[in-house]
Amino acid sequence: MTRRGFLQKLIGVITGLSGLGFLGTVIGYLAPRREKGGRKILLSGDGSPIPAEKLKEVPYLVGLGIDGEPTIVVRYEGEMRAFSAVCTHLGCLVKWLPNKGEFFCPCHAGRFDANGVNIAGPPPSPLRRYRVYVTKDGLLGLEEIPT
Amino acid sequence: MKRWTQSFWDWIEERTGISRVVRGLLTEYYVPANLNVWYTMGSILLVCFVIQIITGILLLVYYVPQTSKAFESVKFITSTVPFGWFIRRMHAMTANLFVFVLFLHMLSTLFMGSYKKPREVQWITGLLLFALVLVEALSGYLLPWSQLSYWATTVATNSVGSIPLIGEKLVVWLRGTPKVSQYTLGRFFAMHVSFIPFTILVVIGIHLLFMRLTGISAPPGTDKSKVPKVPFYPHMVMKDLASIFVFLAVLMLLIFHYPQFAFPHDALIPANPLETPLHIKPEWYFLANYQTLKLVPNEFLGILVQLLAGLFLFFLPFIDRSPERRPLKRPLFTTLATLGVLAYIALAIWGHFS
Ligand code: HEM
Ligand code: FES
Repeated sequence: MTRRGFLQKLIGVITGLSGLGFLGTVIGYLAPRREKGGRKILLSGDGSPIPAEKLKEVPYLVGLGIDGEPTIVVRYEGEMRAFSAVCTHLGCLVKWLPNKGEFFCPCHAGRFDANGVNIAGPPPSPLRRYRVYVTKDGLLGLEEIPT
Repeated sequence: MKRWTQSFWDWIEERTGISRVVRGLLTEYYVPANLNVWYTMGSILLVCFVIQIITGILLLVYYVPQTSKAFESVKFITSTVPFGWFIRRMHAMTANLFVFVLFLHMLSTLFMGSYKKPREVQWITGLLLFALVLVEALSGYLLPWSQLSYWATTVATNSVGSIPLIGEKLVVWLRGTPKVSQYTLGRFFAMHVSFIPFTILVVIGIHLLFMRLTGISAPPGTDKSKVPKVPFYPHMVMKDLASIFVFLAVLMLLIFHYPQFAFPHDALIPANPLETPLHIKPEWYFLANYQTLKLVPNEFLGILVQLLAGLFLFFLPFIDRSPERRPLKRPLFTTLATLGVLAYIALAIWGHFS
């Protein structure tokens, strides 16, 4: 190898390695954060718990559930049901149509039945379901259902 | 006595010989005398970029990139700061016209065959600029943190999720969190006000450098070596200015009489991550993509179709290699391109009404 060739290689290797090292730092810096854990009860947008009583006044509630997942709790045939409100198509939040007993997504008119099963429109899969109960403080407790 | 500007100029000239550079760029740079109005689109695009930089920096003076404050700060700009409404409308409206004129520029170079050898690099850097401006507009859209911002960004970032294997991960990377949040606003803000504008600036530089190196094309059907030439300054500059002022007139008309075009109802309500508004639609320039996604039954296929269309455009100068540039002398290309444009417009209109 000529002296010049060697120097060219050396410059390439040095700058390449430093670049790679820095790239690693940048990737770590930009890595996404996950909000895990927290209390397993339904919270309103400002973080205060929603009393179960509230569900007597309105047909459905949307709040933040497990891991901050937007969660919808409905009254249907005398029982409470909870689902992730996040439409399985592109992530808009579904609304509950009490008269039809269906969930409706406003973005591309996706529909789900009262069990969260996708029945019309583009959504490819059912809404994730949670177990919901009234805690001893009168709040709405949520639990994952193992799949 | 000499004017002080003249003395200053002479002082620089004596040291650098700068007038040679200026002449080379303006008065002794000759272009074909028969350049048509489509050759002035580039100057309008430069004006758009400059407007966005200036109004963008002015918005930055009061804008706060924080979810609990962003909407208030933008409202403050429009309702309290003198001329704030004007600066904000100008930024939002120019963003729309920017994309529109980019379409015109791309279509004119497409139909005039200007992408052909030796101008492949201009075509490819042009496509890159188009993509960058779209990303720039998309990231700016989130900043006011309105209902429209929040949900349009939710849907747009989510559609990346249909890429197999890495899609879901990529969505979270884009957003910085599983759901659109402060982390998303932070990323989009940094991209919008620095990373992408700088990148655009560099690509514009390459685009124009290559244009100068290969020379501008003469309109199809004319022989560049035979048509008369005129100096870029003042002849072409005059033509450019005429187009630029027509553009500015349209911009003002929209700003003063049709502001709702850039600010629909949901743009005036602060973001609520627990309620999706009805009728959430993307901006007009994404409607065709949006409708394609809705039409193709498999989401990944929908993205693939668009990716292939993009790649096809990218490689067009290498696929279509005949030197012929006159639209009527290449009927197959002209027919296909016209059908393509019509299909695109039809998809967009369909997306708007569906
Ligand atoms: C290069 C082309 C650019 C395009 C196409 C663009 C587009 C947009 C769009 C569509 C919005 C949302 C408008 C609204 O709803 O108010 C926006 C907001 C914003 N942009 Fe840009 N922008 C560009 C460049 C810049 C630059 C260079 C800066 C700053 C250095 C900037 C700073 C801002 C700020 C602070 C906002 C939030 C204020 C607001 O929403 O009115 N932009 N931009
Ligand atoms: S996001 Fe719900 S139907 Fe598309």
